[in-house]
Amino acid sequence: MANILVFAESRGTDLRKVAGEAVTVARRLADASGGGEVHALLAGPPGIAQKAEALGKFGADVVLVMEHPALATFAREAIAATLAARAKASSYRAIVLGFSAQGRDLGPRLAARLDAPIASDVIDVQIAGDALTVKHPAYANKVVVTLTVTGSPAIVSIRPAAITASESLRSARVETIQPATDPAASRVKVTQVVEGAKGRPDLADAPVIIAGGRGLKAPENFKLVEELADAFGNAAVGATRAVTDEGWRPHADQIGQTGRQVSPQLYVAVGISGAIQHLAGMRTSKTIVAINKDKEAPIFKVADYGIVGDVLEVVPALTSAVREAKKGH
Amino acid sequence: MKIAVCIKRTPDSETRFRIGASGSAIDEAGVKFDMDDFASYAVEVALQIKEKAGAGEVVVLALGPDNVQETLRKAMSMGADRAIQLKADAVPFDGLAIAKALAAELKAGGFDLLLFGKHAFDTSAGVVGTATAELLDLPCVTAASKLEIANGKGSARRELEGAAEMVEFVLPAVVTIDEGIARPRYPSLKGIMAAKKKPLESKPAQLGAVRVAVKGMALPPDRPAGRIIGEGTAAVPELVKLLQTEAKVL
Amino acid sequence: MNAQSVVFLFVLAIAAGIFALNVQRLVGYLRLGFAEDRTDRPWARLGNVLEIGIAQTKILREPIAGIMHATIFWGFIVLTAGTVEIFIQGVWSGFSYERVLWHPLYSLYAASQDVFAVFVLAAVAFAFYRRLVLHPRRLEGDRIEHLDAYVILGMIAGLMITLLLANAFLSIIQPDAVGPEKFISRALGGAFANIAPRAALYAQRLFWWAHVFLVLIFLNYLPYSKHLHVVTSLINVYFSNTSWKAERAVMRPMDLEAETESFGAADVEQLSWKNLLDGYSCTECGRCTAACPANLTGKVLSPRKIVVNTRQRLMEKGPATTGTGMAFLGPRLVHGEGHEAAESLGSGATHRLLDGYITEEELWQCTSCRACVQECPVSIDQLDIINQMRRNLVLSESRFPAEIQPAFEALERNGAPWAFDAADRARWADGMSIPTMAELTARGERPDVLFWVGCMGSFDDRAKKITVAFARILQACGIRFAILGQEEHCHGDPARRMGNEYLYQMLAKDTIDTLNRYAVTTIVTSCPHCFHQLGNEFPQLGGNYEVIHHSTYIERLLEQELVPLRTDEGHRLTVAYHDSCYLGRYNDIYEAPRETLRRALPVVTLIEPPRARDRGLCCGAGGGRMWMEERQGKRINIERTEELLATGADTIAVACPFCMTMMSDGVKAKESSVPVLDIAEVVASQLSVS
Repeated sequence: MANILVFAESRGTDLRKVAGEAVTVARRLADASGGGEVHALLAGPPGIAQKAEALGKFGADVVLVMEHPALATFAREAIAATLAARAKASSYRAIVLGFSAQGRDLGPRLAARLDAPIASDVIDVQIAGDALTVKHPAYANKVVVTLTVTGSPAIVSIRPAAITASESLRSARVETIQPATDPAASRVKVTQVVEGAKGRPDLADAPVIIAGGRGLKAPENFKLVEELADAFGNAAVGATRAVTDEGWRPHADQIGQTGRQVSPQLYVAVGISGAIQHLAGMRTSKTIVAINKDKEAPIFKVADYGIVGDVLEVVPALTSAVREAKKGH
Repeated sequence: MKIAVCIKRTPDSETRFRIGASGSAIDEAGVKFDMDDFASYAVEVALQIKEKAGAGEVVVLALGPDNVQETLRKAMSMGADRAIQLKADAVPFDGLAIAKALAAELKAGGFDLLLFGKHAFDTSAGVVGTATAELLDLPCVTAASKLEIANGKGSARRELEGAAEMVEFVLPAVVTIDEGIARPRYPSLKGIMAAKKKPLESKPAQLGAVRVAVKGMALPPDRPAGRIIGEGTAAVPELVKLLQTEAKVL
Repeated sequence: MNAQSVVFLFVLAIAAGIFALNVQRLVGYLRLGFAEDRTDRPWARLGNVLEIGIAQTKILREPIAGIMHATIFWGFIVLTAGTVEIFIQGVWSGFSYERVLWHPLYSLYAASQDVFAVFVLAAVAFAFYRRLVLHPRRLEGDRIEHLDAYVILGMIAGLMITLLLANAFLSIIQPDAVGPEKFISRALGGAFANIAPRAALYAQRLFWWAHVFLVLIFLNYLPYSKHLHVVTSLINVYFSNTSWKAERAVMRPMDLEAETESFGAADVEQLSWKNLLDGYSCTECGRCTAACPANLTGKVLSPRKIVVNTRQRLMEKGPATTGTGMAFLGPRLVHGEGHEAAESLGSGATHRLLDGYITEEELWQCTSCRACVQECPVSIDQLDIINQMRRNLVLSESRFPAEIQPAFEALERNGAPWAFDAADRARWADGMSIPTMAELTARGERPDVLFWVGCMGSFDDRAKKITVAFARILQACGIRFAILGQEEHCHGDPARRMGNEYLYQMLAKDTIDTLNRYAVTTIVTSCPHCFHQLGNEFPQLGGNYEVIHHSTYIERLLEQELVPLRTDEGHRLTVAYHDSCYLGRYNDIYEAPRETLRRALPVVTLIEPPRARDRGLCCGAGGGRMWMEERQGKRINIERTEELLATGADTIAVACPFCMTMMSDGVKAKESSVPVLDIAEVVASQLSVS
């Protein structure tokens, strides 16, 4: 029987999707190790406590709530210190985080503080005796590596959207805790948070991604991509390196080997030829649709469904058809 | 302005990999190795900061067997001043083990700024930089997409999901470098010749215990062949139907 | 000997002295450049002088201006004989060639003086008219000033007029001195027959001395004028390497082992004395710039400017370095663009040929098509200067268009200028049962020829079809060939063209090692760049192979009737063949591709675009420009595509994968449906076996 510690990531007073995924994984690990408890750390500004119940839905037994005004922005040092202190005070088999912007910062800090082994960006975790066995896509998603992580606690950060959050209802008991160090006294001070495009999910979270490439011919035509994303309702907009280099879209939107790596349920590639560097960023998507004028384009070799045609004509048609289809729901 | 940059020798990112006979490593036959992309961004950032400051030293470090010396020389041909090889028979997957070796070397170095790539192409783990910072008890900015250093202080931008945070910190500090921040310069022949004469020191690495190890490697399953369902707008109704019924994503 | 002779000798001595000092000064400036040996093959060099220089073959490429100049030039040569006679007369007043020449020869000589004087005068009149009234485009631009030309034309006219008039008045005062052969002078003299003898004498004296002074002034004006070419052009043609078949077009070898602080050329001391002599020999005629595909599509590159700037910089640096001046006339007469730039920059680290006169932008716009070198009537090698400066930019300063860095990196990492997986190199051959050299060697066999595929042919989707077509032809003819397969990697030519000699030598040497390991002797390739590099430039690094381009190879196969062709007529195709620069101007291969088309297609009409063969317009991809963005003016490939489409041809044929890409893009951009085919594809489509 072993307890699992989880970092339930939030932004402001909202839980992030990966929090549910992380708790799900923690729940599975706890169950696999003889039914231990899942302790989730929930840190945020006053009001975050309301999200504790939601964590219980995914299987948290204890929610450690840490509220502080300075936790409105990412107080990395305080959170790392708190998690480490908790892990030193109690014994955990594993510590689970999401491999997000926050998680990729916290995970290694914990590893160093606790002298604990860490495996990042995993898509599968199993307990195998004294060790954990994890799967991690390495070499820019070209090779799936199976790793054994020996030692306790073992730190594991999961790839967002790789493992679906599932419910395993527990009545979570809430414990209020204090930060181990002053969140306002971080040596890395957040001076500003710049919001991205409103109303659209982030590429990491979005179940549907519509991505546009050079085939759109001009930056103005990206609005067709955005309209298709709006028609789906829950879609994010991505871009290839070619168009981010040209300045049509911000670099943060770039999907590819040197950009974002995404794994949505549905990926629609509009006017994208399918260069190998782009494929490296989206080839693990569950379903891929490609629309391109050139039937020889390499994208059609990885797409599940393809339409050969002028994107400037096909995309608007697809947008209306999707809107129609969604009306039924 | 004394800057340390920790770099890694990794396979060329264009390679189509095959799994080696052992099943737990890539088949290196015919694979070209070079400085990791993110590490080269870090080297470029270091050189630009040094040039802007007008004076200083850029020291590059790498852990591994003697073949990393080529990578260290490449960094020096870009303009780094000297190099340190932490000699080890193999580079473990365990980022914390590597971080311990680096921290041991960097501790007494008196560096103002320590730069790492956000992650390395082969392990894609992103552990070493931030873990080293923590071992050295230095402030750390993980995955900076913009970086400014002036008067002993630094400011950086970090990409979040759908947003970005601007941070400030005081030197000495550790920053791991995201892509998009700088284009690594192409070494001139002049730089390559100069690099041959720059000092490269080799000493044994004090690796930590290796507790994360590769048990196996596999290539991702090939996607089943897809199909082109039609041409032009006429194919749209069929696509929507398939997305609803077959793929069940609509 | 009399007083007149003494005065004459005195004047001659001064003029000759000044001229000699100037020559010494100018030769001294040449020594700023590095040494190189051009004393090889003296007979062939002399042949060039006779052909290009004396026979004016390049000048005559332009019919009207050509005849105009040739007349002045030949007149100049013929009249020089007369000038010598006049100068001897200056010392020894009774002298005449009549005393030493066999009479019929003397008559011919005497008549020639008169006749050529008039021809030259007529040519000069036309030259004035051309410059003043017609304003041909190539005499504008690059801020060329016309004053220098007018001065020279005026002096030449003056020389002719004073010569004729001197003889005219001589025929009055000393009729036997001017024989009937000089009928023009005599006729002219007839017009003045009625003036007083004393006046006639003074007139003769006047025009004689005027002529002598004009000769000496003309001579001493040359070092300060673009007409220095009068002195240097034949010498320049002699020492030029631009006329050897195939070898002429190789890039200058470079020793990277040499202990040197700098690579390539950033300033005049880093160019060779020959490049500097090229600077002296440029007459600013503009034929190079008029033929430059970059310039004629509105880019700043002007080959003329490159050469004029070299001279300007030498005239600026030469005096400072050698300590010899004559600055009172100095660079002021050496006009044209760049000079103003030099003045405004003053002195400083960047005040040098590179950046101070010639900008990076110009240097990167060059497609290395060799049209400029082809056109230059005095055999200047503009491309040599451009290449040396590119080497400096890349090797010493790492300055180059950002978009080519990925090409350099890809060459280093995976042996191709694009980020393709090296493992995919021979994928085009799947299912074709083509053996690799490794496989054949393992079986103890050798092929008759190695098919070098090249990176375009291995990785580019469109070019792969050319590769397959050629392979099918070889198989249909029963040729025993092999490929290197994954052992092939780029020979480095793109790196070399872009100035990265270091990367090039690494790749080339490794390629030579591989080829030698398999004891390769004969290579056939479908890419003219590979063809030129492997066949003509590899010897610099010790790789000596017989390399044949596929157009020549297929032509031979067709000639030997080894190719099984369909016999049905099919319909008549009208084909416009686009000449590849690296086949054409670099290697004189113009007929083989055309002949291939004629032999393969039962009925074909070959239609030539206006600019064909050695005047063919470049597709725009050479000189590494395949990897660069065109940022100024009209796209070169559009310019060429328009010309080809305007022929009305229903097919465009090419023999180079780069031309294929550029012409295909051009046709698509013009929204035309005219197919672009490689000659191998045309032949393959006519094979009677499937």
